[in-house]
Parts: sequence; structure tokens; C-alpha cells
Amino acid sequence: MEQSPNLGPIAVEDALRDLQNRTLARLDGDLARLVYLASTRDYNTGRYAHDGLSFHYSESVAQEALATAHRGVFESLAVSPLRIVVANLEEYIRSGCAGPNELVTAWNASGAYRVLAPVSADSLTVKLFNSNIKVALAIVKAAWAEAQPVQDPQCASQPPSPAQ
Amino acid sequence: MNSTLPLLAIGFLLIVLVGYILRRPETESGSAAGSSDLLAAQAVPAVCLPPEQRQKELLDRIFGPEDWEFVLSRAPKEVQRLFLRERREIAFCWLSEIRSRAKAAMQFHIAHARRSEKIQALREARLLIDYFLIQAKCVFVAAVLLLRGPIALRKMFKQAGGLSDQLRSLLELASRVEPLANDPRGS
Repeated sequence: MEQSPNLGPIAVEDALRDLQNRTLARLDGDLARLVYLASTRDYNTGRYAHDGLSFHYSESVAQEALATAHRGVFESLAVSPLRIVVANLEEYIRSGCAGPNELVTAWNASGAYRVLAPVSADSLTVKLFNSNIKVALAIVKAAWAEAQPVQDPQCASQPPSPAQ
Repeated sequence: MNSTLPLLAIGFLLIVLVGYILRRPETESGSAAGSSDLLAAQAVPAVCLPPEQRQKELLDRIFGPEDWEFVLSRAPKEVQRLFLRERREIAFCWLSEIRSRAKAAMQFHIAHARRSEKIQALREARLLIDYFLIQAKCVFVAAVLLLRGPIALRKMFKQAGGLSDQLRSLLELASRVEPLANDPRGS
């Protein structure tokens, strides 16, 4: 397939729609989308890369679309109420990347969530986002610890929901 | 007379403490973030919302009661304490940012006003008053945070919005400087 010569805003919009429909829509919740979009960024250069998008459009269009989507998802989640952040975190845990205890411990220990913000985000928004995730982790951990002794072992990977 | 002296001393100590807390994040971020960087940072375009709307949402999130009520109803005491600690820290960061931006705007204005042919005394006086009002309000909000704890954050939403609006008008006023007629940078 030939690469589109169009590098203007319409191409970026197309690529953004493509990314939204084919990839982001399949992920459960904004936190999962944020983790995915942050992972498409090279931490050494700050550039985004996505083979499928680059193939259909161009590297620069793909880069711009990914950066725009990343900023959008981040800003939306950063100013969301804490209950939404907690619900997103639970949804992310339920999506099965790791067990709740494992994820909460790893995120708390490594501060992995601190790399989720885009470079262009302002420092106060980043601070608020990191702080909300930190508190959300504590809420999920506390709810999990409280429910664990009476929980059915078959449902051990499903944390109780304080956001409901 | 005997009873007023300790009160004065406590008041002075509080002012010094508030000044120290407000200055701390500035020094942590280093002097590299100079006035030009701070002004440039404001020019970063918002993605989803206009800057005013975004700022309002951010302040609503920091100072609004919704998150605190959620934590109060769903989380144990230790998480409640963590939440209050975190929000207080963010509130101090926000205050520090307001002060830094106001300071950077004044430095920018002074640097340009020195090269200007027409200095309007009235405008300069208004700018100075606005600047000191912002600084005083920041100290007041910080003192309330320090004295009454982060619970007081919930009642500060209007103060916070007012400070942001004041800063916006100061930035606008500070950027209005007529350059010298033969200054190539100003044309």
C-alpha cells in the first residue's frame, strides 16, 4: 500500500480517527488507553511510533496523531473526579494485566504511573494526576485488603469496587 | 502590652513560615526555569479545552469538595490522611506557580518598560498594586491552609478562581508595553 503524501491536519485527523476506532476503542477504560499511548513513546527521544499508522499514513502523521491522542486522554483523566480514576484503575486491574496486589505493589514501589504523562502537559496537571493515582492505589489496596479474608478464592483476582 | 508581644511574635513567625513554604518549590525546580521559560510555558496550547476552561476544571478538582467526600465515604482513615496531605501539597504548588508567574510577568514588564519611551504612571501603579494584591492573597491562602489544614481547601474555591483571574489580568497588563520607536526588537 502506498503511503499518503498528505501530511496536513486532515491526514492527522484521519489517523486519529483510525487510532481511536481500531485500537483505543478496544481497550477497557481511559487508564488502559493512557498506558497504551504512553508505551508507544520512545522514552529516550520522546517520539511516538506505531507501525500500523505509519504504514497507512506516514511517520510524522502517526507521530502527531499519537501525541494528540495521548494529550487528550491524559488531560481528560487528570481532571476527572477521583471516583472515576478509581473506577478506571479497577477496570485496568480487571482487564488482567496483573493481579491487583501485584499491580498495586509494583506501581507503588516503582512509581511506574509517573511516566504516563505526556511531555507537553503542565506540571500542576501532572502533579494532580500522579497524586490521584497514588490515592486511587491506596483506596483499591485498602478495599482489597478489607475484603480478602472473606473472599471466594475463585474470584481472588477481582478486587471489590469502592467506586461503585 | 505583655499579651500583645507574644501574639505579634507568633504572627511574625507564621508569616516567615508561610514565606518559606511558598518559596520552597521555586528553589526545588531550580533557577533554570527563568522568567522567559515561565511565560513560554503558558503559551503551550491546550488540547481539548480552552485554557480558561481547563484552568477552571483543574481548580475545581483541586479545591472542590467532590473528591474529599468520595474519600471520606469510601476510604479508611489512613487513606483520608494521605489524600489531605496530597491535596495540600498540590495547593501549595499551585500557589507557588501563581507567585512565580506573577513575578515573571513583572520582570518581563520591567525589562521592556526600561526600553519604552512612554511610561504611563497610572498603568504602572495599577500593575504594581495588582502584583502586591496577588502576592498578599497567596500569603493569605497559604496561611489559611497552614492554620486550618487542608479541610479549608473546600471553602477556597472562590479565592482560587479569583487569584487565577487576577493573574490573567496582570499578565495581560504586563505584556502591554510600547517599545522604543527605533528598537528593532519592538517593531
